[in-house]
Amino acid sequence: MGIQKDRVRFNVGGKIFDTSATTLANAGRNSLFGAMFDENWDLQSGHSTTEHFIDRNPDYFAVLLDLLRTGELYLPSNMSEKQLYREALFYGILDHVRSAKWGPFDGNRLRLARSVTGRAPGDGTAIRAGPDGGCCVAHGSMVHVYDWMLEVHPPINLDYQRVNDAGWIDPESIVISACERFGTGDGGMGLFSASTGERRYKFHVSHENQVKSYTAGALSFSPDYKLFSSCKGRSNEYGIGVWDQVTGKQIDFFYEPPGWSLGEADKLQWLHGNNCLLVATLFPRKDNCYIGLLDFRDKSMPWSWSDVGAPITDEKRVRDAIAMEESSSVCVVNEYEDLGFMDLRRAAGSVRWSSRSRLMKGKMPDEPCYPKLALHEGQLFSSMNDSISVFCGQDWVLTSRLRRTYGGSICDFSIGGDRLFALHSEENVFDIWETPSPPII
Amino acid sequence: MNSSNQKKRNFQIEAFKHKVVVDPKYADKTWKILEHAITEIYNHNASGLSFEELYRNAYNMVLHKFGEKLYSGLVGTMTLHLQEMAKTIEAAQGNLFLEELNRKWNDHNKALQMIRDILMYMDRTFIPSNRKTPVHELGLNLWRDNVIHSSKIQTRLLDTLLELIQKERTGEIINRGLMRNIIKMLMDLGSSVYQEDFEKHFLEVSADFYRAESQDFIECCDCGDYLKKAERRLNEEIERVSLYLDSKSETKITNVVEKEMIASHMLRLVHMDNSGLVNMLIDDKYEDLGRMYNLFRRVPNGLPTIRDVMTSHLRETGKQLVTDAEKLKDPVEFVQCLLNEKDKYDKIINLAFSNDKTFQNALNSSFEYFINLNPRSPEFISLFVDEKLRKGLKGVSEEDVETILDKVMMLFRYLQEKDVFEKYYKQHLAKRLLSGKTVSDDAERSLIVKLKTECGYQFTSKLEGMFTDMKTSQDTMQGFYAAYAAELGDSPTLVVQVLTTGSWPTQPSITCNLPAEMSALCEKFRSYYLGTHTGRRLSWQTNMGTADLKAIFGKGQKHELNVSTYQMCVLMLFNSADRLSYKEIEQATEIPSSDLRRCLQSLACVKGKNVLRKEPMSKDIGEEDAFFVNDKFTSKFYKVKIGTVVAQKESEPEKQETRQRVEEDRKPQIEAAIVRIMKSRRVLDHNNIIAEVTKQLQSRFLANPGEIKKRIESLIERDFLERDSSDRRLYRYLA
Repeated sequence: MGIQKDRVRFNVGGKIFDTSATTLANAGRNSLFGAMFDENWDLQSGHSTTEHFIDRNPDYFAVLLDLLRTGELYLPSNMSEKQLYREALFYGILDHVRSAKWGPFDGNRLRLARSVTGRAPGDGTAIRAGPDGGCCVAHGSMVHVYDWMLEVHPPINLDYQRVNDAGWIDPESIVISACERFGTGDGGMGLFSASTGERRYKFHVSHENQVKSYTAGALSFSPDYKLFSSCKGRSNEYGIGVWDQVTGKQIDFFYEPPGWSLGEADKLQWLHGNNCLLVATLFPRKDNCYIGLLDFRDKSMPWSWSDVGAPITDEKRVRDAIAMEESSSVCVVNEYEDLGFMDLRRAAGSVRWSSRSRLMKGKMPDEPCYPKLALHEGQLFSSMNDSISVFCGQDWVLTSRLRRTYGGSICDFSIGGDRLFALHSEENVFDIWETPSPPII
Repeated sequence: MNSSNQKKRNFQIEAFKHKVVVDPKYADKTWKILEHAITEIYNHNASGLSFEELYRNAYNMVLHKFGEKLYSGLVGTMTLHLQEMAKTIEAAQGNLFLEELNRKWNDHNKALQMIRDILMYMDRTFIPSNRKTPVHELGLNLWRDNVIHSSKIQTRLLDTLLELIQKERTGEIINRGLMRNIIKMLMDLGSSVYQEDFEKHFLEVSADFYRAESQDFIECCDCGDYLKKAERRLNEEIERVSLYLDSKSETKITNVVEKEMIASHMLRLVHMDNSGLVNMLIDDKYEDLGRMYNLFRRVPNGLPTIRDVMTSHLRETGKQLVTDAEKLKDPVEFVQCLLNEKDKYDKIINLAFSNDKTFQNALNSSFEYFINLNPRSPEFISLFVDEKLRKGLKGVSEEDVETILDKVMMLFRYLQEKDVFEKYYKQHLAKRLLSGKTVSDDAERSLIVKLKTECGYQFTSKLEGMFTDMKTSQDTMQGFYAAYAAELGDSPTLVVQVLTTGSWPTQPSITCNLPAEMSALCEKFRSYYLGTHTGRRLSWQTNMGTADLKAIFGKGQKHELNVSTYQMCVLMLFNSADRLSYKEIEQATEIPSSDLRRCLQSLACVKGKNVLRKEPMSKDIGEEDAFFVNDKFTSKFYKVKIGTVVAQKESEPEKQETRQRVEEDRKPQIEAAIVRIMKSRRVLDHNNIIAEVTKQLQSRFLANPGEIKKRIESLIERDFLERDSSDRRLYRYLA
């Protein structure tokens, strides 16, 4: 008959599809196609002329079959994205759809993919990108969770206390830190299921073998499953706590040294190469800025900087800080989005400012948002008012600017799962920026 | 619908809608289909099933919120099937038990894969969000609980496995493939199953087995054989792990063998009569020693045990060697024995102990210990070098010379009293140079360079000065003969070596009376030399010179006699007399009596060299003896070398003298060290000075604390130091 052995015929919802076993193999073993053609089920040999019936919608099958053939996703405008996801889940190839939707992250090729409007009142606190393209958004005492399809999941709260920070441990788990409620033991920090919103456990702070209530601030995670948080307790429990992500047990505590402010730190960043934690306490939480590296092994602070004693002008006031391990430096930003740099290899250095954007002065909006920094694979990002700047190269040249006027200033942004999420302060809206898949030729 | 809505129900108007009702039997029906399929799968009857239909049914159950029913149904059905399987396995007879278990395990695995395929959608959605165990893991857990932990299988399985291993240990052939499959199954069920249900017991049984076996072995084997057996057992266990156990078990089982077969019997093995470590060392049993090293290395304290026994044996034999009265008679033999001993142990450490640094250190410290037990070691080592450089190196290649010299240097490094060596070396070198006996200038210089690198420039500067003197003297003689050639005519040839005072080990010697022709010549040279070098003083060291004499004996035998200057003076007397008494000779020559005795002894008492005769004939020289020319002297050589009877080794008083000179020389060195240290430290207490001085000088000699104390006191007297007025133990440097 001249029919190739490789050929497979499907009847999907009454429509005939001819394809090849090679194409279906692209779906992988853990898919309906992988299982169907496994030798256990004895379907591929001898029956190559018979058709395999599948009781599903043929239109979406066609889209997904094309995805398996080309690796690219094309959904005609009259078809529903949500329904496509459901079909892909049935066939077990939802991961294929996700990786076809957007390409590997590049700050200079970002395109606004969508904006999502929520219903939460008041200003946004934080937005955190998840590892697989989802995100969570903290507003007041609530955290809203979105998966990569931007379907909203049940929201999370920690005793309805004000949320200070949130973060992803894995695609299934979110940690949120919150203020304490005096005398009740509410608040603190908890771990939640991203899909159901259930609380799995709370993280406790113990001081002299007694469990204390505390306010948890900034969060950071290390690849060896440690969780760090700045803690402000009732009496002595000021400092940085360390917990095991897997067991939820407290494993260490770095008590605040006199004259230094750890318990109220705004930003923590685990530096794996140095085995140290960057801790930054910044204006306006404190009158002065403190940035230090903590070494938990011997409870020392091998590097530190503060602007105590220096003449304070707005141009010199640090608003955010981020450590860049590759160049052994710390990048800081002032409220005019000027970048400054410090060398981590030299103790007690001063900030080397690059006053790039002095021209911007005087154009402040009514409700300004102060800059935030992020680093992703050698690209530095800085948000300022309603735009995000991208800097590249050794000298951090400005290479791109992402701007969207709707929603007011950007109060926080986060990069992860090959996406950039930007949360606006005025309307409850956040933007998703993605890198499109590369051109066909 | 949530609870808050229900409370307000009264106030709500029901919306006009039909509740979508799923056929109440729907879930049961669907589950029946799936349950049937699972049964068919377990019965090897799956070919009639439609995968698509089963997949869709499972999907629908999850979609319509019957995930829980599906999941619990799966657990129930699978449990039933596994219980069936367990019964069949239990019923298997004898040897077929493991095979049946393996077959059923394979069946279950295949079925589990197919079930998982059908339930893929549940595995992907329902299970993670409800925190249930995934299907594959669930299948393994149920197998573990219903089959492996079934009361009739658990102990039988363990006993069977252990029995098979025991059989293999006693030399029987077992089905290793089957073993591997069963062990692999236990590992697949999780490391805790493998450890609890097998490994723990396996290690216990192995420990018992090896405890008993090692007891048998040690009663009937010698040390070498025992070690061979232990090594073989160890390798067998390592092989067993690689063939059918978890690779993580390797260290555990080898620990058991090591503990039972080696650690428990370590001392007994090392000290075993006639075959223990000492015997192996004596007999150079490299293979056995290597085996012992490699096995003992595996257990705590193993290597130190070997090392300690080796060290004490080495110290014992070394001590015997350096105190052996026989050996002391021949210094060359003495040093050669040391070198042989060193070579022997170097080879053992190289071949058997894999050049272990700690063993090399033990070897070095042992040598250092016993070489210094004998105060004459420095002298002997210098004598050994002397012997080698005089004649021992003839016909030896340059590289071999280097090797010998390097070995000597190694012994030198062990010496604590390096300055004593230096003293002797200087004496011996002087003799070699003056008598022209050194065979190889290169070898001499090479050794000087080695000493220099070892001990620094100061150590060898005088030795190098000696070489310079030799060279300058040659030039001086050429100049002398060029200037006086005409004047000298056929008078005897004079060769003068001008030695710088201080560089050479000169003794203040009483000059003897030279024969008239010689003293005239010497005077000429003196005036020539002082004429060319003003401001110098020249004194004659007649005790160190040599002379060649032409002699004609009674029957006209002509010989050339090579003699010392003293001997020359004596013999020249017989040109004008036939018979002379000891007293007459002594008067005429004024040679110091001890030297004269030796000189006469060598001329009259040595067989074959006796150019003189004496009366009475005896071995010793007496003051009343008389001497006359031996007319009957014969020799088959024309040239006859008459050696002086010099004890190669020093005589007792000489030894004392050398010792005393060494002690004298040390004083300024100790003082210099004290001053250097105090200059930099300003204030220091007594113990620390002693410690630092000792440390600074140890490359040359081991300073005696008592002597250091005396030097400190002497320095205090001379106002270099003072005692602190409040703390008497503190010394202060006075600039």
